[in-house]
Amino acid sequence: MELLDAHLVPAVDGVAFGLLLFVVAAGLSLAFGTAGVLNLSHGTLYAIGAYTGAELSDGTWGGLALGLAAGTAAACVAGAGLSAATAPLARRGHLAQALLTFGLALIGGDLLIQFFGADELPVRVPEALDSSVNLLGHRYPAYRLCFIVMAVLLAAFGTWVLTRTRMGAAVRAAADDPQMLAATGHSPRAVHTGVLAAAGALAGAAGVLGAPIIGPGPGTSETVLMLSLVVVVLGGLRSLWATFFAAVAVGEVQTLGVSVAPELAPYLLFAAMAAVLVLRSRFAEPTEAGAGHGSEGSGPDPVARLRGLLAGRLPGPKRPSVRLGRPPGHDRAPAWSSRLPGRAAWWQAAPLLVLLVVLIALPALLDAYSISLAGSALALGLLAISVTVLTGYAGLPTLGQTAPFAVGAYATANLADAGWTVGPVQIVLSALAAAAFAAVVGPAVIRARGTTVLMITLAIGELTGAVVNQLKSVTGGADGLVGFPATRALWGGEGMLEESELYNYALVVAVVAVALTLLVLHSPAGKLLTGTRGAEARMRASGHPVGRYLLVAHVCAGALAGVAGSLMVTVQQYLSPADVGFEIAAFALLAVVIGGTTSVIGALLGAGLIVATRDWVAGSWPGHGPLLLGVLFVATVYVLPRGLAGLRSGGPGGGGESGRPSGTTGAPGTPGAPGISGDPGGPRGSHGSDSAAAEEQPPSVPAPTRAGKVSP
Amino acid sequence: MTPTPPPTADAPTLTAPPPVLALDRLTRRYGTLTAVDDVSLKLAPGARHAVIGPNGAGKTTLLNLIAGTDRPDHGTIALDGADITRKPTAKRSRLGIARSFQQPSVIAELSVLENVVLAGWPHHPQHRGAWRRPSRYRLHKESASRHLETVGLADLAHRPAATLSHGRRRMLDLAAALAGNPRLLLLDEPAAGLTDGDIGRLLGIIGALPSDVAVVLVEHHVEVVAELATSVTVLAAGKVLVDGPTQEVLAHPEVREAYHGTAPSTGPDEPRARTIPTVCPSPTDARG
Repeated sequence: MELLDAHLVPAVDGVAFGLLLFVVAAGLSLAFGTAGVLNLSHGTLYAIGAYTGAELSDGTWGGLALGLAAGTAAACVAGAGLSAATAPLARRGHLAQALLTFGLALIGGDLLIQFFGADELPVRVPEALDSSVNLLGHRYPAYRLCFIVMAVLLAAFGTWVLTRTRMGAAVRAAADDPQMLAATGHSPRAVHTGVLAAAGALAGAAGVLGAPIIGPGPGTSETVLMLSLVVVVLGGLRSLWATFFAAVAVGEVQTLGVSVAPELAPYLLFAAMAAVLVLRSRFAEPTEAGAGHGSEGSGPDPVARLRGLLAGRLPGPKRPSVRLGRPPGHDRAPAWSSRLPGRAAWWQAAPLLVLLVVLIALPALLDAYSISLAGSALALGLLAISVTVLTGYAGLPTLGQTAPFAVGAYATANLADAGWTVGPVQIVLSALAAAAFAAVVGPAVIRARGTTVLMITLAIGELTGAVVNQLKSVTGGADGLVGFPATRALWGGEGMLEESELYNYALVVAVVAVALTLLVLHSPAGKLLTGTRGAEARMRASGHPVGRYLLVAHVCAGALAGVAGSLMVTVQQYLSPADVGFEIAAFALLAVVIGGTTSVIGALLGAGLIVATRDWVAGSWPGHGPLLLGVLFVATVYVLPRGLAGLRSGGPGGGGESGRPSGTTGAPGTPGAPGISGDPGGPRGSHGSDSAAAEEQPPSVPAPTRAGKVSP
Repeated sequence: MTPTPPPTADAPTLTAPPPVLALDRLTRRYGTLTAVDDVSLKLAPGARHAVIGPNGAGKTTLLNLIAGTDRPDHGTIALDGADITRKPTAKRSRLGIARSFQQPSVIAELSVLENVVLAGWPHHPQHRGAWRRPSRYRLHKESASRHLETVGLADLAHRPAATLSHGRRRMLDLAAALAGNPRLLLLDEPAAGLTDGDIGRLLGIIGALPSDVAVVLVEHHVEVVAELATSVTVLAAGKVLVDGPTQEVLAHPEVREAYHGTAPSTGPDEPRARTIPTVCPSPTDARG
């Protein structure tokens, strides 16, 4: 009883926190489940509500009501705008939409800081509530109790709308079968807009009411997004009740957990998530296999069902951009494994060689600061390549490669601190540590497909970030690590301090790592991954241990990310949690998307472009790096649907450096550069109706063949 | 070659070889729907067995249960007398079960030949290390080329599979299944969407399979069933309605009613089915 007594306040706090998360997560889950948008700007919608509410609340009831109305309306409008922005991308898969929303979140965050300042806004609640009440002998803020009541009302109202009204029925129908809904006379577009607007309104209302709990500030949107993503992943889109319990559980971990076991709280969240994911994948396995090959996909597990739904909505064959009128002679062109490198092979290698020459010449051309930036760009480029391996080859779009990246980075920093300063040793040990980490979390990742992978990896990356902040003895916490001895390039060498020295070291490591990666991707092993991504069911039915391939790919990509992390530490000679944060993960994914998902050189160029935007261009307009990057995200998604590799598709072996065999047939516009035009994981193994596939040709493809289609 | 009697009347198997496939009281439920309900079946080596029935009868679910993409709630599956009920799909494939898919499953980004190479890879006697040894990989390509010739796609070997027409994708899917040198071949509506010429080829391919390869065929085209199968199981609502030798089953009044009374509605390719009799001889011609 005494124990309960001591922890009563945090426990009730946890309920309030959990309800807040529930309302926010319900909106996220609604947008994802029914409109198919993984809305990474959901936290920004909350922040819009929170800022508006804080600005308008002047300590009176009227102010609160005004704030609530204005905040909800503003977020609602923003949600509707989001719908308008993402609707044109609906056919391009979920990755494109997720990236777009992330870009918009960056822009929105910057604008909010413009309007409201970079400081946390103080929040005033009505005076009647700005007091404490007696709760079983404890003083407890009245506002929080009131919030609990309001959140319950809000949740009950939402549930009622969703389950008891015609409108709710249309929304639920949209989740199940949008085409059938359209056939019954409801416009799916209207439902799409309505759902996102409603999700925005929910987030906005939660923002206004929850401002005294999670206040408006620069970090608000990220905190809210992460916690609600964790809730959605834990709740598993199963039902509102599951989401509810997950939300309250997360709330309790964040409040009661912190008060009971402050050191363990971040791990609690991590452990709970890992446990749920592993357990669920156990149960879901047969269903997943069933949904994987595009059968009915209506198993009992909603995640698997959703997966099947995504697969059904985005049939695989939309990718092919093969044109009619291909010269017949090309059919006989040597396939991938012709041993002598032909002209096509040189065509593929040429851009890499040019890039290599430019990179070697770089130290002679740039000043010291720019060279160190170029070194960071190489590290980020390696990280992007590891994302390419997972996203483009294994079909697992990931936002969590910063986790093994962080492992590698902190391993190197700690090794240096302990006196192990020889470069190759640091690289290898960091790679091993990251690979071990990837092997541990791999099973949770490789069983999921499509956007679910994005969510799971995002959560893994984020929770790793939380651990980094917590584990001060190893990571230095929020202060980071600095002052460890410089790395020596080889045994017996001196510590490298000069920028150009460090750059050259980074370049050598990067070249070796890229060469190894290309070698593996070009070997038949790369083809095993392509096959797994393209037709998983066929691969399984042919006896390929698909799960093992994916796990190996995950571990190798993890090792590569570890090398990248090690390199970054060596180059910049300090390490802070922001270097391994969510932004970096999103940048890596953007770099990959700029490059065209299966292009190694594209990933490198993308990384260069991002570092240039963040550190060079933004240097002349201080404080607006996020805004510029957000614009870059948005522009990439709209302008380069297939990435830089897509630009090259007119030439021989378009995007062929990715090791795709079709590139070497010399055929223009050969299929297989999914870019972000195809959710690389979503349509795995599904072969929906051909007529649907024909409709879903990306608009940028000039003359999609119909030769392969049975006319509907 | 014995058709499959119900489990209670277990036929004397003193002289018969042990069954390749033995299903014992297999049941699979999806929520309240029982897709496969207490189905038992025994296939001798070389059996040609068809599973027919109206849409939703559980035919594909049954194939999925055998192939391992779905797990039964009750019952066991044995291959060559060894229980494989809990084995994953890939393991079953390596034990000798190959399948074709209702929607042909091809890797659109790879060439036709590479599709078959990948499909045959785990079954090739020299599959170890093939991913890094070009010489071994070439061996794989040679055997894959032979399978492509079998299904008549040799001319298109180097095209991306994405460029194939639906019918050719189906043949590629079949080649991929054959590439596993299976002991048990599961075919899910292999004739759906094929031209008459391709159906003729399909019949030829299946007819030319080694005599110890058992085939389970799910098919709507009664004519194809009559041509290929020596025994038939009719499923309705997950249950075995009738089973026995092809002619008897096809002459069974309930089956006649199902297929001639309330026949079609079997999907978009159904109208084409009516053209098949030109290819297939009458049911009485079935191999015995």
